[in-house]
Amino acid sequence: MNHFDPAILRAVTAPVESARGLPNAFYTDPQVFAAEREKIFARNWSCIGFGKDVPNPGDIRPITFAGSPLLLVRDTQGALRVFQNVCRHRGMVLATEPGNCKAVIRCPYHSWCYNLDGSLRTTPHVGGPGRSADPNIHREELGLLAVRTHVWMDMVFVNISGDAPEFREAAAPLIARWADFEGRPLYHGGADSSTSFDLATNWKLAIENYCESYHLPWVHPGLNSYSKLEDHYNIVEPGVFSGQGTLVYNPQLGENGERFASFDGISEKWQTGAEYAALYPNVLLGIHKDHFFVMLIDPVSHDRTIERVEIYYADKSMTEPAMAAMRQRNTEMWRQVFAEDVFVVEGMQKGRQAPGFDGGKFSPAMDASTHCFHDWVARQFTA
Amino acid sequence: MDEAGLEAAILAAHAAGDEAALARLYGAAGDIRLAAGDIDAACFFHTQAHVFALSAADLAAAEASHALLKRYGREE
Repeated sequence: MNHFDPAILRAVTAPVESARGLPNAFYTDPQVFAAEREKIFARNWSCIGFGKDVPNPGDIRPITFAGSPLLLVRDTQGALRVFQNVCRHRGMVLATEPGNCKAVIRCPYHSWCYNLDGSLRTTPHVGGPGRSADPNIHREELGLLAVRTHVWMDMVFVNISGDAPEFREAAAPLIARWADFEGRPLYHGGADSSTSFDLATNWKLAIENYCESYHLPWVHPGLNSYSKLEDHYNIVEPGVFSGQGTLVYNPQLGENGERFASFDGISEKWQTGAEYAALYPNVLLGIHKDHFFVMLIDPVSHDRTIERVEIYYADKSMTEPAMAAMRQRNTEMWRQVFAEDVFVVEGMQKGRQAPGFDGGKFSPAMDASTHCFHDWVARQFTA
Repeated sequence: MDEAGLEAAILAAHAAGDEAALARLYGAAGDIRLAAGDIDAACFFHTQAHVFALSAADLAAAEASHALLKRYGREE
């Protein structure tokens, strides 16, 4: 069966009122996942990590993203670079553990050495014992394979195919929507502000569940008592992002009602509201007047997904030890919310083994954000 | 340290993953061979020394080995 039959995909890209969801195979078939590696993760701007993962010059971090071995590097000038994690000689993976390379990245096989900017520094014994030069080895042609990279709000995005529009063009509607926060420093809360989930589900179900607020009163009753369903609104930007917003955000996280410091000078909208957007393909973002979180969706396989959550604050003082209890409470609050979603995203994956399931039916009122994502996925295979 | 002692020390440094020591020991082995007029062996050892000095970020030692290798047409 051709899973990318235009007739099937047209049913997905139809208006929300009549559309069907993506077919089961988009969740259960390893061949579809293999196609997504090229059509979705390589051709678009995918998030693979964070600037904070490599804070110091020489820091490296190997990352396997959608099956591709990548290497995150902080070069000697402090610039963040991403390379394919492979030696140009015999295709050996260069690094398997995070660490600091100080001056060069040395292949563990034959010790070809690369500068942190990716250029090939030396090729020991390549011309015979004690001869590091050879007329057939042109170092200038054999640097590490650089991957197009852009850092936004500490997220490291890559465009592996190299031919997507510039990141700031591709993400322009979200950058504009959240202009109040653009260019501001963000301060990660440290070890107590990270958490993760390893899920038996397809990556798209994590995105889809995040996009809509329809499930809040059923899956997150605690959250709903504070921020009710009727306080939420859909966010739909076809081709770029979708999600939900709330008109009610008023956290009190300290024992005596203390709050985190807010971003200075943000508009009135953010004093009482917050927004949650899925920037396609694979980051789930939450923006608030006092903190920002990212859930990086790591598509490990067609039926396994790792969610990596990182929480940032508006003011450096919020990262001090004195604020640890409040940060931990905030992390735990979000962890509880995300944990409540686990049975849903894993349950929908199991449900997609039902041969009669036809992709499902969207609520035009409540599922527009989810349909927006389905529409985007389907169009990646029809363009 | 004689060459037998250097060989044992090099093996121990490999086992310990001590790149700074490897740079120093291979350099010493290269210098002994250079003094003996065995240019090929000297360049072999200094190639090893160069790589480990780079890896250990001992850039002065790396430059010294690199300069020697260039002098004998073994490096770019």
